[in-house]
Amino acid sequence: MEQLTIVGKPVTRVDAEEKVTGEAVYGYDLVLPKMLYGKTVFSARPHAKITRINTEKARRYPGVVAVITGADAPWTHGESIKDKPFLAQGKVRYIGEPVAAVAAEDEDAAQAAAALVEVEYEDLPAYFSPEDACKPGAVAIHEDFAGYRKADFIVSGPMPNVCEHFKLRTGDVERGWKEADLVLAERYSVPTIQHAAMEPHSAHAQVDPESGRVTIWVANDAPFRALHEIAEALGVANEKIRLINPLQGGGFGSKGGLKVEPIAVALAYHTKGRPVRVKFNRQETFISTLVRHECIVEIKSGVKKDGTLVARQMALYWGGGAYAEKSPTVCIRGSLPAPGPYRIPHVKVDGYAVYTNKPVSGAFRGYGIPQGAWACEQHMDEIAKRLGMDAVDLRLKNIFVDGDLAYWGEQLHSVGLKETLIKATQAIEWGKKQPGARPTVKRGKGFACISKPTRTPTMSRAGVLVNGKGEISVLAGTVEIGQGCSTILSQVAAEELKVPLERIRMAPLDTDVIPFDASTTSSRSTYHMGNAVRRAAIDVREKLAEMACPMLEAKKPDLAFADGKVFLKDQPQMALPIGEVVRRKLGNEGIVRGDGSYTYEIGKDLDLETGHSDHASAFYMYATQAAEVEVDEETGRVRLLRMAAAHDVGMAINPLNCAGQIEGGLAMGIGSALHEHLVVDDQGRVRNPSFLDYHLATSLDVPKLIPIIVECAEPEGPYGAKGLGEPGLAPTPAAIGNAVADALGMRIYDLPLSPERVYWEIQQKKKKTAA
Amino acid sequence: MRRPEPLEIFQPASIREASAIVKEKGPGGRFLAGGTDLVIAMKEKGLSPKYVVDLKRVPNLSGICEEADGSLTIGALTTMREVETSPAVCKRFPFLAQSAAEVGSIQIRNRATIGGNMANATPSADVAPALLALEAGVKIAGAAGERTLNLGEFFRGPGQTAMLPEEILTAIVIPAAHPNLVGEYIKFSPREMMDLAYVGVAVALVLDGKKRCDAARIALGAVSPTPMRAPKAEAVIEKQILTEELAQRAGDEAARECKPISDVRSSAEYRRAMVGAMTKRALLNAAERPGPVAWTERRERRY
Ligand SMILES: Cc1cc2nc3c(=O)[nH]c(=O)nc-3n(C[C@H](O)[C@H](O)[C@H](O)COP(=O)(O)OP(=O)(O)OC[C@H]3O[C@@H](n4cnc5c(N)ncnc54)[C@H](O)[C@@H]3O)c2cc1C
Repeated sequence: MEQLTIVGKPVTRVDAEEKVTGEAVYGYDLVLPKMLYGKTVFSARPHAKITRINTEKARRYPGVVAVITGADAPWTHGESIKDKPFLAQGKVRYIGEPVAAVAAEDEDAAQAAAALVEVEYEDLPAYFSPEDACKPGAVAIHEDFAGYRKADFIVSGPMPNVCEHFKLRTGDVERGWKEADLVLAERYSVPTIQHAAMEPHSAHAQVDPESGRVTIWVANDAPFRALHEIAEALGVANEKIRLINPLQGGGFGSKGGLKVEPIAVALAYHTKGRPVRVKFNRQETFISTLVRHECIVEIKSGVKKDGTLVARQMALYWGGGAYAEKSPTVCIRGSLPAPGPYRIPHVKVDGYAVYTNKPVSGAFRGYGIPQGAWACEQHMDEIAKRLGMDAVDLRLKNIFVDGDLAYWGEQLHSVGLKETLIKATQAIEWGKKQPGARPTVKRGKGFACISKPTRTPTMSRAGVLVNGKGEISVLAGTVEIGQGCSTILSQVAAEELKVPLERIRMAPLDTDVIPFDASTTSSRSTYHMGNAVRRAAIDVREKLAEMACPMLEAKKPDLAFADGKVFLKDQPQMALPIGEVVRRKLGNEGIVRGDGSYTYEIGKDLDLETGHSDHASAFYMYATQAAEVEVDEETGRVRLLRMAAAHDVGMAINPLNCAGQIEGGLAMGIGSALHEHLVVDDQGRVRNPSFLDYHLATSLDVPKLIPIIVECAEPEGPYGAKGLGEPGLAPTPAAIGNAVADALGMRIYDLPLSPERVYWEIQQKKKKTAA
Repeated sequence: MRRPEPLEIFQPASIREASAIVKEKGPGGRFLAGGTDLVIAMKEKGLSPKYVVDLKRVPNLSGICEEADGSLTIGALTTMREVETSPAVCKRFPFLAQSAAEVGSIQIRNRATIGGNMANATPSADVAPALLALEAGVKIAGAAGERTLNLGEFFRGPGQTAMLPEEILTAIVIPAAHPNLVGEYIKFSPREMMDLAYVGVAVALVLDGKKRCDAARIALGAVSPTPMRAPKAEAVIEKQILTEELAQRAGDEAARECKPISDVRSSAEYRRAMVGAMTKRALLNAAERPGPVAWTERRERRY
């Protein structure tokens, strides 16, 4: 491969300065001329019929422009099941569901008027755990489920309230149990947590009274998908909708699909052309946007004495909350690799996405991998313990390597997993035991491995413009959600055009001008959009070369690019700055454009009966994380001493940004391991919808982190790159869980590993040993 | 919840004027110091005072003063950061500095006042146990003049104090202490920082050369409607040689006499158990002073 000049270099993020100085304008900051202020009325009941809504008093409140209810917005939407109303349609399914909305001249009036909307309910039976909701005889939370518009891959049932049933069938587990020397069955659970992005949710919408065109300003992570979902719901052509994407202050999956957009759009139809803003505060963001799936995981394995895995059976109950949102695809893509990155001949997995009367679950960084890994990776350690085997050796015996046929029927390549396992465990001195600081403080080490697929097949398109000053604009629909895509894509464009990074500008994201992109999700952007931008940059470079041929009296193959110039390979002094090429050909204001597009061509679709596919994912991300902890037996407090995280990124386009993603992922994963739990009580109320009692990890809760980059190149990826956004937190809780089990000599099956939980588990064990 | 009507704010220049405003406007108003409790209560907890009287223009309400009689006066508007970094406090009562350093973050402590922490009267107020263990008093001024109360009499319930609506907390007075007094404050919370105390334990001891306990004060936070003393636990160690076994017994006694509740943060049973463990640790730490202590609940602690 030719020499790379900027790809692979640890350059500083192109958006660093505007963000650290507070100059950056986020969606939440946006103020539009003549803007109205929206406020939402939320359901106060977990499952109920709405018997009456009275908006009279609210309408009469001074400054109120519009008060709307479900009757004014008879639309439903959803990614794969169209079950979610813009505003409740005669019934509510969770506390926090939008029931009505107010637009007013100022925020206080909107607030006061919203409080005057009277809603009367008739309660229905409500379910707050996926297991309860799918028990035989449970009342249907969606009585019209059969009639909903759905994607063709949806398989519902067989129990009540199951909106998706994923099945993986490989070999014959019954035979596997017979062949095994040890059969172990366990049950793990992961609670509801929230994304808690620094920027809460907001959307601005405006309807042009003449054309009926709707413009929405929202920091959505998939503007084209959101545009389509809104158009589809309203029954209008896609051209009738325009999305403008301001900067996003983090989303972690919570800002995909539609959250506040439907409320803003519904209101905008009643404001005579004035834009309306709907801005959620932190509490509203907690109860009414999105959460991560709680999950109950049953896992059973059969192994030979030498550690060879023979069979594994899993059932995963994904608590979907009141609406399907992305539950079906989280269920599919989270359940499929849940048995772990291991060769297993007999595998049976059932994933159930279950409606409950809780806040809506959906995409969350890691897309179902952390839940499966919490169970699978601790289960692996339990197997090792019972076999008297080292946990690393057990993994090495079974771990995916190049050429393996994965249990879902795909031949794997570019598997860097083993290297991640070895490097991460070495970094914490695996095998070296140290005593705790005091007799009641115990030390332990643990690790966990994962593989993560990406959403497939998907498309990215891009444009690259070069003007007469030699400045370059990149048109890409990837959203800067804080992950650093603007830097990575700038590096790719700069590399192909051989210009300094400062020459590259990322164009603002407006669906009227930016080419299509599937989404900024699933760790897909570096790979897909990286390829598209690379192709667009090559396209424009070829055009520039062609234009330069007569100017340099040369043929195209004789030309090369470097330092912002095109030149003759054997006479480098014969050179022209690329801006000059544009000027000479097209005049001072000329612009040359290149286009690029990338779609990963999938083989066979996932088979609905067996879950098999010969290409389930464009690429796989592999990682191992390892933790050393100290557990105080008198208090139950777990303190992290160090964590190493080795991630196979294919190729690090920017090692600095890779390390940042790994460290950020770890910090988030640590919160979910030790503290985070969005508590919903037996009345369906969220008990801790604020940062006072919803505990993210702070900088002091995060120990010394050791990020390790492993590069097992992916031939299809740009320069060999895969992806990295999500895996950073996926194995973290399991690695910490294994370390805690090592320290205490006992396992804890439920998250989070809060001091109180750990304390009572220790007490219980003490009682048992005493008895 | 944001309040719909504009809020009336007064900025009196003296205590007399401040009290007079309250007398005139009637009940339902609030004093404002750093605002780190009040503003949040208004913005997020639906509190809507009829009016607000800002105390920050009243002179002589802040500062730390070592009095001739050996007592220490801390003005009510002294910030937590000032308390935490005050040479006088750090030298004489490092555990009081530690308790102030446990509050929120540096940004919060630059605004939060010690008087606000007392007047707000939450059971988990971090500085309260240390002040109770030091047998501090509070100075209260109103239209009728000034009075002094023991801090123990000051707290009446969650958010309730012995002050009349027009009365202002002006200062906290820590009486002259025995030169051998040592102490400790341990805040127990799951997170390393930015967390409320699930349990707070302060101890102040006067030990002789043989670790015999001539005087013992144990105070608990977050485990009863008000910050409280634990007299039965104190009795366990008074006049005794402080050993690990004795500290454990005192901890068990404190666990029995506290009155915690269960909430979303923690169960009452767990709080009780932690009172036991933290009381033991605080006593043992105090006994090791001024040397380095064994039990740390925080990754980084300075005092
Ligand atoms: C992010 C955050 C973290 C926090 N962490 C902690 C923590 O870890 N530990 C902890 O204990 N607290 C914590 N707090 C609470 C708060 O910071 C403290 O209680 C602080 O000491 C309150 O002081 P203030 O000056 O801000 O009070 P204000 O908010 O100004 O007032 C609080 C109350 O006291 C009254 N008041 C104030 N001064 C007087 C006076 N001189 N006379 C009469 N009445 C008065 C007011 O009317 C009001 O009712 C935290 C707060 C925040 C926002």
